[in-house]
Amino acid sequence: MALDRRRINGPEESFPPIFDSDALQWKVGDARKDRSPADIRPIFLQPGLISQANGSAYIETAKTKIACAVYGPRQSKNTAYSEMGRLNVEVKFTPFSCIRRRAPMRDAEDRSIAVAIHQALVSSVRLELLPKSTIDIFVTIIESDGLDGCVASGSVAASTALADAGIELLGLVTSCAASVVGKEIWLDPTEEEGRLSKGTLVLSCMPALKKVTSVWQTGEMKVAEALGCMDACQEKCTEIHSVVAQALLESAKI
Amino acid sequence: MSSSSYCLPGQPIPLPRNGPVPQLGGGIYVRDSELRASLVGIPQQEGPVLSISRVRPRPPAINSVVLGSVTRLSPLQATLSISVVDGVPLPAGEEFTGVIRSQDVRATEKDRVKIGDSFRGGDVVRGVVISLGDARSYFVTTARNDLGVVFAVSEAGKTMVPVSWQSMRCPETGRLEKRKCAKPE
Repeated sequence: MALDRRRINGPEESFPPIFDSDALQWKVGDARKDRSPADIRPIFLQPGLISQANGSAYIETAKTKIACAVYGPRQSKNTAYSEMGRLNVEVKFTPFSCIRRRAPMRDAEDRSIAVAIHQALVSSVRLELLPKSTIDIFVTIIESDGLDGCVASGSVAASTALADAGIELLGLVTSCAASVVGKEIWLDPTEEEGRLSKGTLVLSCMPALKKVTSVWQTGEMKVAEALGCMDACQEKCTEIHSVVAQALLESAKI
Repeated sequence: MSSSSYCLPGQPIPLPRNGPVPQLGGGIYVRDSELRASLVGIPQQEGPVLSISRVRPRPPAINSVVLGSVTRLSPLQATLSISVVDGVPLPAGEEFTGVIRSQDVRATEKDRVKIGDSFRGGDVVRGVVISLGDARSYFVTTARNDLGVVFAVSEAGKTMVPVSWQSMRCPETGRLEKRKCAKPE
């Protein structure tokens, strides 16, 4: 891997200490640790934390911590004339966000998350009102606990930040992940649980309009399981929507 | 739900029980014959228009009144850096580019317009957007009495005062300079 000489580089190879209690002693058929299969981690959501951005949001679900900033609409530079606005999503991992140190260079992972978040949001934004303009969304993953959780929490944070920025939306987007572990469906999987699972699905929807904006599935999953995941996620999205609504209303009233 | 409560994007807005159906302003859209909010805010009715207003920088649209400073002149057009749209200043560094073509400077004798006798670099100009233009710029017109140069600095470096719609005077040297002036309010 190429070294970036302009930065202070950490040691090339470093490993976190592994403690005995850390290793998940889980076998197929065991119950889920810490919470029941249909529980999601508690969400803390705060709009408007980044003062220089037009809109922003910070979301924390247990060990997943994401900050999101929205800039614009600004004039699209170096692009052809377009009647519709453009939505630009960039995802960045902090070097200390994962268990292994993440070099501050873009790899394929953050771009695939950016595409997933863009897909989740793009149909909710009224881009037809912003000809020739671009909205930039910057998602910074401060701490990551599972990629699927990052996509889900990132989409929720980005939609909250868009609403905070006063950009016209058809509805608020909420998102939830589910994975198939053994024969059960576990909602909002952590990184460890994600490794145990056969397949994972992230569903994003606008609960106010009862519309699904994106479904992102990885791994192996039967049709019935996928449908079960989608139903479970959609139900949770409605609950997450009330969290987002409360956070936005509280910040609007101040 | 009372009319003074906050709405969130996607939330249905109840129609006023009596009176005519309102016209839709900003921040509201119709989906499946139901009014819904698209901004966080309180729906307010002003005359026939129901809207959720939120003061924030927005890109220019047709008929927006813009303020900008002249950045470049050519015989055919003057280039503007638009920094205020409809009275709302844009964040620093996020200006939009506008263009005043020579045929849009004034309403009469359009073919005798000389850009150099209408604007100078650094002038602050009030204009109205007539078209979204091309990929690079918005087309702006000053062909109205209240549109044109609102602030200009003379060669001596002093702020000039308008003396007619075509000229401004420097208070220090007393020399006249040609500008397409906006009529003071």
